[in-house]
Amino acid sequence: MYLTVILTVFVLWSLFTGLCPTPLLAVICLAGAGFLLLFGHHSHGSILPIDRYAQQSHLAAYNPAGKAALSVILLVLCLCSRHPLPPFLLFLTLSCVTVLIGGLHLHEYFSLLSLPAVFVLLSGLALVWDAGTSADAVVSFGWFVITEAGQRTARLVIARALGAVSCLFFLSLSTPMPEILSVLRRLHVPKVVIELAVLIYRYLFVLLSVYGNMNHAAASRLGYDGVRRSIRTTGQVYGNLLASSLRRAGAYLDAMESRCYDGEIRFLEEHKPLCPMQVLFSVLITGAMAASVALTAA
Amino acid sequence: MTKRERMLFAFSVVISAALCVPKRACAMHIMEGYLPPAYCIVWGAVCIPFLAAGVIAIRHLVEEKRRSLLILAMAGAFVFVISSLKIPSVTGSCSHMTGTGLAAILFGVPATAILGIIVLIFQAILLAHGGLTTLGANTFSMAIAGPIVSVLLYKLLRKTKLSQNICVFAAAFLGDLFTYCVTSVQLALAYPSPTGGIAASALEFLGVFAPTQLPLAVIEGLLTMVIVIGLQTYAKPELREIGFLKGDA
Repeated sequence: MYLTVILTVFVLWSLFTGLCPTPLLAVICLAGAGFLLLFGHHSHGSILPIDRYAQQSHLAAYNPAGKAALSVILLVLCLCSRHPLPPFLLFLTLSCVTVLIGGLHLHEYFSLLSLPAVFVLLSGLALVWDAGTSADAVVSFGWFVITEAGQRTARLVIARALGAVSCLFFLSLSTPMPEILSVLRRLHVPKVVIELAVLIYRYLFVLLSVYGNMNHAAASRLGYDGVRRSIRTTGQVYGNLLASSLRRAGAYLDAMESRCYDGEIRFLEEHKPLCPMQVLFSVLITGAMAASVALTAA
Repeated sequence: MTKRERMLFAFSVVISAALCVPKRACAMHIMEGYLPPAYCIVWGAVCIPFLAAGVIAIRHLVEEKRRSLLILAMAGAFVFVISSLKIPSVTGSCSHMTGTGLAAILFGVPATAILGIIVLIFQAILLAHGGLTTLGANTFSMAIAGPIVSVLLYKLLRKTKLSQNICVFAAAFLGDLFTYCVTSVQLALAYPSPTGGIAASALEFLGVFAPTQLPLAVIEGLLTMVIVIGLQTYAKPELREIGFLKGDA
């Protein structure tokens, strides 16, 4: 945890050093550190929190195809941006939409965000710092240097990543998985793949709960005492899980065949029509994003 | 556990203790929005033939035996579950395994490609690991390149006199390691270093992720080995059904 905070401060410092005066730099670094200390715990507590948030979201009532299309278009625009500002603004806007209109707690949103943040930080480090010597180095430390070009790419990449993650969260925190799959079905993804995906989604919860039981049983017998034993226990629990899941597959086939399964699964969908509000919002935000990308590119 | 297996465990634990630093490790997926548009499209295009082969393979499998659709679905759910769960690593940090090495050894490369892409979509949407635009790149490294190495290695090693457990360990370990190398190269191709070019940048990415990925690969290999041992003890009929065990074994 503290390592992550130190890392964040270090990356932020590397990003903006030489660009802005020292007091501002200190404020940015401190803000990053405080943000992580407040919200940055990575919780594995409940099973698949995103799925639960999506079911509970106030945005879940809107048309899923519309939401999916909007987030894909915004994703593409975000990636096409040549300046860090539009993706960053997109990040702020979509986060506000997800949190304020979707009714998600700010705290939960940020703790979800802390997960991809680790990747950004680690690879940001590799983007900013460069091995070797260079004439236009902003900072140099032994064999490692920070160049202005490196900083610029890193800022752009990190802003784009933040914007794109907010698009992904906008979709995944407002649209339950079965609806996303039904959108894919209408896009004519091969039927076998969709059937597999639907079955996998259902079995996830079965397996996760079976795993929970096995894990408790193993833990109550001190199965995770010490590294060696815990690796062995984990392997055995996984092996058992796979064995029992393969066995279950047989039982499920029998159950399905007794209900006239003939090699094809048919689905019932809830009809959620596009409403004017959603169209208006989508057009507005797409237009704003496209305009800002075009303006900053020029 | 036999004596040899115990020795292997001890050996691996020493290795991972030596390599591990207290850092939080996530499954090695390139996150959403990290690659420029051109690279997203190219990596996606590279995956298409493998995915097509996968769809065809699965379709044939299902026509032959209806049961195999459910078995594949269970396997996919299993891969997702183990890739979303914490596995023990030395310093109490949390890391996840990829599980595609195991799937590849059990089900072959084409089926694993399809399972892999479905699992990656689920991970992006349900866990915020990876992303939709980087789906192509991640599918290539995790569900195609890694499994190909695993399967080739497994088949090759089975021809020698090495015991099956060691083959499984080596296949899963090197498959995972290869996945991580491919990901680093993908990142480096997209973001070459201004002074040293692609090679320098690849080394940098390899270096940054090495402390978390090396022990992870060892643990992945070990776990896969233990899983296969467990399966052979408890699930021989099922293993025979998916064609992993032949006849008398």
